[in-house]
Amino acid sequence: MSHMKTSTKATKDWLNTLEYREKNFAREKLVINPAKACQPLGALLCALGIEGSLPFVHGSQGCAAYFRSTLSRHYREPVAAVSDSMTEDSAVFGGQSNLIEGLKNANALYSPKVIAMFTSCMAEVIGDDIKAYLGNAKEQEAIPKDLPVALANTPSFKGSHITGYDTMLKGLVECLATARQEDKINDRLYVVPGFDTYTANLREYKRLLKVMDTPYTLLPDQSDVLDAPNLGTYELYPGGTSITEMNDALNAASFLCLQTYSTPTTRKYLASKEVPVESISMPIGIAGTDKFIESIAKFTGKDVPEEITLERGRSIDAMTDSHQYIHGKKFALFGDPDVLIGLVSFLLEMGGEPVHIVCTNSTPLFKKAMESLLASSPYGQGSTLYAGKDLWHLRSLLVTDPVDMLIGDSHGKWAARDANIPLVRVGFPITDRVNLHRYPIIGYSGVINLITMIVNTFLEEKDRTSSDPYFEMMR
Amino acid sequence: MFTNLTKLDLKDKQCMSDAGSPKLCMKALPGEGAERSCAYDGARVVLMPITDVAHLVHGPIACAGNSWDNRGARSSGSQLFRRGLTTDIMENDVIYGGEKKLKESILEIALRHNPKAIFVYATCVSSLIGDDVDKICKEAEVELTIPVIAVNCPGFLGDKNIGNRIAGEVLFDRVIGTAEGPNEKIPLSINLIGEYNIAGDIWGVIPDLKNLGITLQTAITGDAKFDDIRSAHKASLNVLICSKSLTNLVRKMEISYGIPFMEGSFYGIHDTSETLVNIAKALGDPDLLERTLVYVRKKEDETRKIIAGYKTLLENKQAILFTGGVKTWSMVSTLAELGINILAGGTQNSTPEDFQRMKELMDPSAQIIEDTSSAGFLKIIAEKKPDLIVAGGKTKYLAHKTRTPFLDINHGRKLPYAGYQGMVTFAETLTRTVLSPVWGLLKQEFPPKESEQDD
Repeated sequence: MSHMKTSTKATKDWLNTLEYREKNFAREKLVINPAKACQPLGALLCALGIEGSLPFVHGSQGCAAYFRSTLSRHYREPVAAVSDSMTEDSAVFGGQSNLIEGLKNANALYSPKVIAMFTSCMAEVIGDDIKAYLGNAKEQEAIPKDLPVALANTPSFKGSHITGYDTMLKGLVECLATARQEDKINDRLYVVPGFDTYTANLREYKRLLKVMDTPYTLLPDQSDVLDAPNLGTYELYPGGTSITEMNDALNAASFLCLQTYSTPTTRKYLASKEVPVESISMPIGIAGTDKFIESIAKFTGKDVPEEITLERGRSIDAMTDSHQYIHGKKFALFGDPDVLIGLVSFLLEMGGEPVHIVCTNSTPLFKKAMESLLASSPYGQGSTLYAGKDLWHLRSLLVTDPVDMLIGDSHGKWAARDANIPLVRVGFPITDRVNLHRYPIIGYSGVINLITMIVNTFLEEKDRTSSDPYFEMMR
Repeated sequence: MFTNLTKLDLKDKQCMSDAGSPKLCMKALPGEGAERSCAYDGARVVLMPITDVAHLVHGPIACAGNSWDNRGARSSGSQLFRRGLTTDIMENDVIYGGEKKLKESILEIALRHNPKAIFVYATCVSSLIGDDVDKICKEAEVELTIPVIAVNCPGFLGDKNIGNRIAGEVLFDRVIGTAEGPNEKIPLSINLIGEYNIAGDIWGVIPDLKNLGITLQTAITGDAKFDDIRSAHKASLNVLICSKSLTNLVRKMEISYGIPFMEGSFYGIHDTSETLVNIAKALGDPDLLERTLVYVRKKEDETRKIIAGYKTLLENKQAILFTGGVKTWSMVSTLAELGINILAGGTQNSTPEDFQRMKELMDPSAQIIEDTSSAGFLKIIAEKKPDLIVAGGKTKYLAHKTRTPFLDINHGRKLPYAGYQGMVTFAETLTRTVLSPVWGLLKQEFPPKESEQDD
């Protein structure tokens, strides 16, 4: 077929044209520069946040090695996980013997308090029944009968890291929590952060809950696991939500989910157990944080402490100090739904214009929420949400319809470079900058941090590129 | 549970490598840990550094999403190889098959991204659902003007080294020897096999080859162009410089194209010189040998002078070494050149010969690391209290948590250590690592004990 000749126009210049952008957006089957990770990676992150929990991948070992190195590179921390190393013969005979031997070895070597078992693709394609296998493993005394093993089916060919996180979370509650008893309802608010890769966000939630005198449990809580102090010894299980509090989870006074799109399965499960559940957007920006504070105040029935009011005031002061640097600036963003809703809300508060919003993990509900958020502000009128698109689509948008800044994870750096604009790193993974996960982006302090990152990046650009007459002491 | 390296009878011919499969590539036991990657990763490691071709992963997001541009192999030209291309297999494809999707993806890449060739990687899922990647690649090739090459490397085939070998076979069967034109050997030319240009390693060696009048036909596959690899059979000599994962390739090239091969290493002064001299000998040119001998002596003197200061600072430090391939032994002598002793050494990815060579080079009192799990590592660190750990990225943060200086010598590093220039970089980096004031700070008791306060 002559028309199938390789295009000689496929030069860098041509890739920057509207003509190519049209062809690029017509692309259906191929994904270029993906902006999502897989379900088991999310499951692994979730599993790390429970006390004494050992993540166990039922599937081929390469998957587990990939998840570990990806998380390790983001956090710059060791990440514990085992795999039962399924190979070709498992594909033929099923993975039961690997699973049983794996449980036995893992328990002997790492003495976990709970094993969080989740699948990768291979086990799912051959249809392994992990629940039945686990029963057989306990029958054969591979592990003690009372060792809890939470289960989650997390094939990579479905969903993404956020759905995998959700499925594992449901699995952990299902496995560890005793049935809800109306006479044993505790006084605690169970706060679910969702797929959140900022250890500082988790610490900030805990600080705010403490300031507001709230009896709470953060579930799961990876803050100490993935940001462990250096005390000279390596702890395999350096923290996490306690097993006792996990046991009591269904007796929670209430649950508060801080990400809408990475917890629907868990919320549905909790609702089916008649546990009160509230779900709000990730508290990024003033409005988002206000909502979070109001939810907690409603739960405790106490007034918002002055300390919080002062904090809020300081954040707003920072916004007034720096609004001129963001107002009218054009942004492109990509990332997970909850983070995007928060960031867009923050930008609109500052008068920034989120022109291109790329979300690979979009859902119809998210689309509706984002569109109504954009419609609510004059600064969102020129914005478009690109659902299900990848970073190569984003590149086309940036080179044909330029903006001032890109906000997203490290994978965005090629597109930003091609478009000659700065990238402010927010999201996961961030593998080419240090410590960003140690600065909260949620809460009122998160507002200040976002301003710092975004505005100072603009100012750095200006200093680096301005001519002598415009190079000055005051910005 | 673990292969007993100490008791491994290295004289037993049975356990020497035959088909090029490293015998010490130990299989991971279920539940033991998750240190080792898979065949798919192994194939990608070998093929991905080919810069001007498109690398398409036919699999779910896990395989490409976690791996695009994650290795630090550098290119002096095209950056196409770093683009993350995948069919992103979804549930529907698992049910109905992904062949149509794959075909369309190949055509899309060929038409719009200007690749010299397309490598299509099969993964666990595409293999299990029965997608015929070979057939689709052949069909696509008929419609296109570029090679479309299937790489059948589903992860479940086993460890990384199996993937390395598959990649070697693919290169031999589909790429090497396919260049048009005469097939005469290029005099004084070599291929570097198993050199992936991590952090730009190869650029530390090329100047020396040039100075000596040796032509680098291609590296397989660091900073390689597809057409150069097609002509790899015109080289006069293959120099195998990373593990023995590609021994199958050099053996086949020897039989089919009459290219002899030798092993070498460009890590450290001694090994770099030895390798250059051996190349000169193997190329059989007396003039070349003569000038090489003069050249390496001069370079050695120069380099030793430069690193002398570092050596003074590092002398008598004690290290634990854990690596694979040629580095297993080459790093022992490289560290020794800086006055560093090895307390313990181990490997997960070497041939018995590599391992034996390491053993011979180490002090007889040095311990062999048997248990290569995290637990085993922590134990040996606690026992030996080394001044330094030299290993790959997976050990890095474990080492830091035990407050031990750590140097990454695998693909996680950002600096090139190959050749004479690389040795200087290595010495400089190692000194900065070992002498960082951070380690001292970490070792201070806090709050200070009373007796210390009195001092």
